[in-house]
Amino acid sequence: MARIKKKGESGQAKNFITRTQAVRKLQVSLPDFRKLCIWKGIYPREPRNKKKASKTSNAATTFYYTKDIQYLLHEPLLKKFREQKALEKKISKALGRGDAHDAQRLERNASRPEKTGKTKYTLDHVIRERYPTFIDALRDLDDCLSMLFLFANLPSTPTVPAKMIARCERLCLEFQHYLIVSNSLRKSFLSIKGIYYQATIQGQDILWLVPYRFNQRVTGDVDFRIMGTFVEFYQTLLGFVNFRLYTSIGLVYPPKFDKNRDDQGAELGAFSLEANGVGIIEQPKQITNGPSKPDPKLQAEIDKLMLQLNEPEKEPAAEQTVANDEEEEQPTDTIDKFEPVAPGGDILPQPSYSATDPSTLFSNFTFFLSRETPRQPIEFILRAFGCKRIGWDAVLGDGAYTHNELDPSITHQIVDRPPIQVDAESEKEVEDNQTAQRLKPGSRVPGRIYVQPQWIWDSVNDEELKRPDLYAPGAQLPPHLSPFVKKVRGQYDPSAPLNEQEREGEELEADIQEPKLLTEMEVDATAEGMDVAGSEDESGASDEEADNFAGFSDAEEEEEEEDEATAAAKQRQRELEAELSGVALKENDVDPRAKAKADARKKAAKKAKEEEEELERAKMMMSRKKRKILEKMVYSNKKKDAEAETLRAKRRKIEKSGKAAPRA
Amino acid sequence: MAPPTILRKRKAATRDVPESSDVESDAEFGDGLLEGILSQSEDSENDSAEEGSEEEEDEEEDDEELSGLDSDEIPSDEDEEMDDENGGLVKNNGTKADEKDSNVAQPAAEDDEDKPNYRVTTDANGGVRYEYDEIDPVYDSDDSDAPVTTNTIGNIPLSFYDSYPHIGYDINGKKIMRPAKGEALDALLDSIEVPKGWTGLTDPATGKPLNLSQEELEILRRIQANEVPEEGYDPYPATVEYFTGIEEVMPLSAAPEPKRRFLPSKHEAKRVMKIVRAIREGRILPYRPPEEREEEEDEEVHYDIWQDEQPRPEHVMNIPAPKMAPPGYDLSYNPPPEYLPTKAEKQAWESTDPEDREKEYLPTGYDSLRKVPAYDRFIKERFERSLDLYLAPRVRKNRLNIDPASLLPKLPRPEELKPFPTVCSTLFRGHEGRVRSLALDPSGTWLASGGDDGTVRVWEASTGRQIWSAKIGDEDAVDAVRWRPGREAVILSAAAGEDIYLIVPPIMDPETETISRELVDAGFGYATNATQPLTANGQRKDPVAKWARPGSRLEDEGVLLKITVRTTVKVISWHRRGDFFSTVSPTAQRSAVAIHTLSKHLTQIPFRRLPGLPQTVQFHPSRPLFFVATQRTIRSYDLQKQELVKIIQPGARWISSFDIHPGGDNLIVGSYDRRLLWHDLDLSTRPYKTMRFHQKAIRAVKYHKGGFPLFADASDDGSLQIFHGKVVGDMMENATIVPVKVLKGHKVKNALGVMDIDWHPREPWCVSAGADGTCRLWM
Repeated sequence: MARIKKKGESGQAKNFITRTQAVRKLQVSLPDFRKLCIWKGIYPREPRNKKKASKTSNAATTFYYTKDIQYLLHEPLLKKFREQKALEKKISKALGRGDAHDAQRLERNASRPEKTGKTKYTLDHVIRERYPTFIDALRDLDDCLSMLFLFANLPSTPTVPAKMIARCERLCLEFQHYLIVSNSLRKSFLSIKGIYYQATIQGQDILWLVPYRFNQRVTGDVDFRIMGTFVEFYQTLLGFVNFRLYTSIGLVYPPKFDKNRDDQGAELGAFSLEANGVGIIEQPKQITNGPSKPDPKLQAEIDKLMLQLNEPEKEPAAEQTVANDEEEEQPTDTIDKFEPVAPGGDILPQPSYSATDPSTLFSNFTFFLSRETPRQPIEFILRAFGCKRIGWDAVLGDGAYTHNELDPSITHQIVDRPPIQVDAESEKEVEDNQTAQRLKPGSRVPGRIYVQPQWIWDSVNDEELKRPDLYAPGAQLPPHLSPFVKKVRGQYDPSAPLNEQEREGEELEADIQEPKLLTEMEVDATAEGMDVAGSEDESGASDEEADNFAGFSDAEEEEEEEDEATAAAKQRQRELEAELSGVALKENDVDPRAKAKADARKKAAKKAKEEEEELERAKMMMSRKKRKILEKMVYSNKKKDAEAETLRAKRRKIEKSGKAAPRA
Repeated sequence: MAPPTILRKRKAATRDVPESSDVESDAEFGDGLLEGILSQSEDSENDSAEEGSEEEEDEEEDDEELSGLDSDEIPSDEDEEMDDENGGLVKNNGTKADEKDSNVAQPAAEDDEDKPNYRVTTDANGGVRYEYDEIDPVYDSDDSDAPVTTNTIGNIPLSFYDSYPHIGYDINGKKIMRPAKGEALDALLDSIEVPKGWTGLTDPATGKPLNLSQEELEILRRIQANEVPEEGYDPYPATVEYFTGIEEVMPLSAAPEPKRRFLPSKHEAKRVMKIVRAIREGRILPYRPPEEREEEEDEEVHYDIWQDEQPRPEHVMNIPAPKMAPPGYDLSYNPPPEYLPTKAEKQAWESTDPEDREKEYLPTGYDSLRKVPAYDRFIKERFERSLDLYLAPRVRKNRLNIDPASLLPKLPRPEELKPFPTVCSTLFRGHEGRVRSLALDPSGTWLASGGDDGTVRVWEASTGRQIWSAKIGDEDAVDAVRWRPGREAVILSAAAGEDIYLIVPPIMDPETETISRELVDAGFGYATNATQPLTANGQRKDPVAKWARPGSRLEDEGVLLKITVRTTVKVISWHRRGDFFSTVSPTAQRSAVAIHTLSKHLTQIPFRRLPGLPQTVQFHPSRPLFFVATQRTIRSYDLQKQELVKIIQPGARWISSFDIHPGGDNLIVGSYDRRLLWHDLDLSTRPYKTMRFHQKAIRAVKYHKGGFPLFADASDDGSLQIFHGKVVGDMMENATIVPVKVLKGHKVKNALGVMDIDWHPREPWCVSAGADGTCRLWM
């Protein structure tokens, strides 16, 4: 006979332990336990059955997987924590005795990471354990980068020591350098939160968020000790990742860091990369031009050059089509892109198909950043997409290709200020002024393309140079769309024309509703809210409540038909009467458009009603559990649809009012 | 003050001393002397240690006094100890009594040698009075432990002396006067010339001004300074190592000091030389500045941690953290205008609680990049993400990513389910008050109905014309109307109060009518011939029911027979052959269910006792089974074997009605708690499907008996629901039940809607009786 199983000795009761139990078992303090959990990547679990897992009351407790905790028992860091604790005790004891010398001696042994940014322990082995392969580490890099980029932009406080910030900044800049050299940055997005970047390294998509360069608002409810623990781990991780990335492309890690240039705000320029065998990788040379003025001859030449340069931009579509036509017959190795011909099919995922190499997108241009533009992200993104020569205003810091705005080699200027109308006279003055390095505000250097920063981002995301005239200074910019949204059928897509995604007869309906669109929406909202409440109630009291079904409304349909029939009869009657009396029947009483609309509405209503009845009937025959699942799904789908519909309605309204910005 | 009290005490203590010493000092002198010596030596030692500065005379006296005092008490302690510890040491001490005696005797012996410490004077009365010297208690004296009372009044409240000029008496019986209350001038003088140790306080015990001496002030200062009050007290004396610090007169070992104590250690010299050599050679540095250590730490180590990477399969229980959701269009700094919130949306977002918001941000559009401000929740969001990473319980959830439509069961199309009644085609008006029951005759031509007005009416079903009517219940309502099954005769049964009437309405051709009349009348005579059951005392038992003619008025109208039972009949149910019918009168105790035989005019009570109140009964359509529904269960009995076959438990609280499928294997039950239950008799005693589509109680349920897979129920909410319920002959397949139609038309009156329902025997039509006084034909 098999042994009788006792309660609480196997299964879920054994698999999970509460946090208090775990802390007791490890014999560490709660902060130390937290640190361990963060570093070792141990997280609470939700047992499938909470009641079975907990031995005591049903109070909300966090459960850990028992084996995770057992695994922590052998952690070398645990020993370090204990040593540190013992040392702290010794120091406090010495201080209590008034033995300052002894305390000082012991203090030297203690690690004070909050002061020095250095710890006695290393997290190397933890990194190796958590990420057995390099790919694993890359996969987990999202949070790491977001956190480190945030800390690189924080002001130093007692909780966030300056050394930590400096190290974060260095690591981030090194990582950026790798992305620049390897051209692995793919997409970027300017959001209200900050700038999102996406890079693809060894097939792994890494997405991170960098805040705008402002002082971050620090609220009191943020515990920087927890963040610091994360940062400590992430710093180690990114250090190793950077090393591996650098060595993989034949560079020496760490790159040489020029303190002086960094102090002058060179940021990316403060590092110089060295090849570890081949030699120094080519860096853009620092060219310092003397003050120059636009020479008319030279200017003409530049203009010509610019024209040539701009030509491919201006007619890229035509050229590409020609090229495509030529290539059509030739068999190629590349994957063909499958475009849906008819709507309604599923969209299958396909490897991204890029026409242009990201390393060449901006490689032929020289950019100049006006002083109001955010230099760091623009510099990074331009460099990552192949631009070698970026100049900027001297106030933006060191490391520019040129600080001279009038440099003739500049092809594009990034401007982010409203254009100022300048008189012709003042322009002349500027030209006369031989020594003027800086142009008067509002004036432009001929032969140069002035664009707003969004041009760079949109070009990068679409992997082609956008039309610069749409992004000219002062122009109303086309909407900046997130490149990360995957298009799902049925969801609203702002880049597609409206009529492609509308339901049948949606516009007609909208026309009818339009006069009271707002109120309607409000009513809807309240009705929805009521519905939700009702469904909640139902879940509780459904046993008592009767499900009611409406049955088939043949009767009403027939009534409607009757209505129509009577209307037709009346019409005929009137016609006859008119014939008798010899008066021409007024034709204008029935507007064909209005009638069509009414018909459409009637049809839609009828169809909807039928469908609803069908659904109700089917639902009645389901088990309660299945019905609940179905209702949940339908609810969420409806919510999504409603969202998409409101967006479409808004867009329709905007398009009708004619205020819409051009869509790129 | 201390001295007087001590004096008094002494007096009390020593009063009997001389006597006792006199009596017993001689007896065991030696022993007592020894004791005394021991105590004296101790005392003297103590004294010498503690009060060196005191005068010698005093010392002597004190010694004596004390020895006397001590000997009085200390030994008593001792002998207790001895009792406990070593009872065997009797030879030292002698007996206990001896000891005590010797203690007492000892001071007396000493006193004898010395001068008396008192003077003899005459007191106020002229008697002898002993006057003792004042005693200065040294620190060690026991009295110092007792609370020092500074006046002589003892333990009585000071207020007793409030009205007297003195406080207590001194040892000589003289009043201790209160100090004279100084005049204002005196007070002034006092204040001008502050005496030494003046505090300005008055001692409450004596009423005198409290003066403190220099020593006392010093003690106070030390107490204030948190020091030990005693002067020169060292709380941490240097420890005196016993073995090394104290040179014993008799050492533990007499061995002479070894030679090695006087020779330098060779081993030490060797080690020192080693260090010296190392220093000379520069191998060790005698001093290294500590700053160097910190600097060397700063170097970071970089190496490839994944040099020998080996892929490791993920642990089954590992749940990787979900990645942050990528930003959508609405997060753009310059989103498409449709993503920007309208004023109403903005307001709604702002007015909701931050925790309830669907999105923690509000989409905002900026027309250029330079206008984009910092996102104020950036750190907060990152922090929350960190918290989520290490604090949020993770669980693997399977998301159903399927089309919800695939969950829906495949139902036959409504067109396939047709025909079923959809509209009200005929309205039967005429009844006053509710129509309680109705029935369509087996041919489907006539509709009989009975109601609260006590009439039974017969209508032409297709036109709604009333053909015949009879008032059978004078004040009782007609509760049940049923046709006899079978086409050869047309007999209507109706129940009003305790009476059941069998009616042959004059609506048919004469042939059928005669057959019907014959059938009804055939039973006359049986009852009289039959042997009547006798009661216990031999009398004829009252018949359960009386079969008789109803009277000429009714007979003319076609009501041929009246069966009177004991209590109100609510339900009539015919057997398929048309010879038996059963009635139910729920209020009757034993005779609730009765089976009547038409051909014999016989009434039988099949059940002596029933569990619960019977509600309704049915005969099985093909087998000799009889179903009785009580409030909660339905019992089926085999009429031939006369036994209980099955108990069906629908689970309803109060069954209102039920019906048996013409196939005989399925059952529908309607209940007052709004349930409609379908039972498959082959499957289980529990319902196969429970349908709860009514808002109010279900009054009646009925299967279509003419070949259409339909059934209907009637409810108090004024609606009928028509279901398609197909029973397949195959045992493996369950019945398919599809709700098809709700028929609304009856008005709800006094919370009652539709009272009864019946199907047309051949067509998919049904009739219903409403509480609003109408019947309706639905087709």
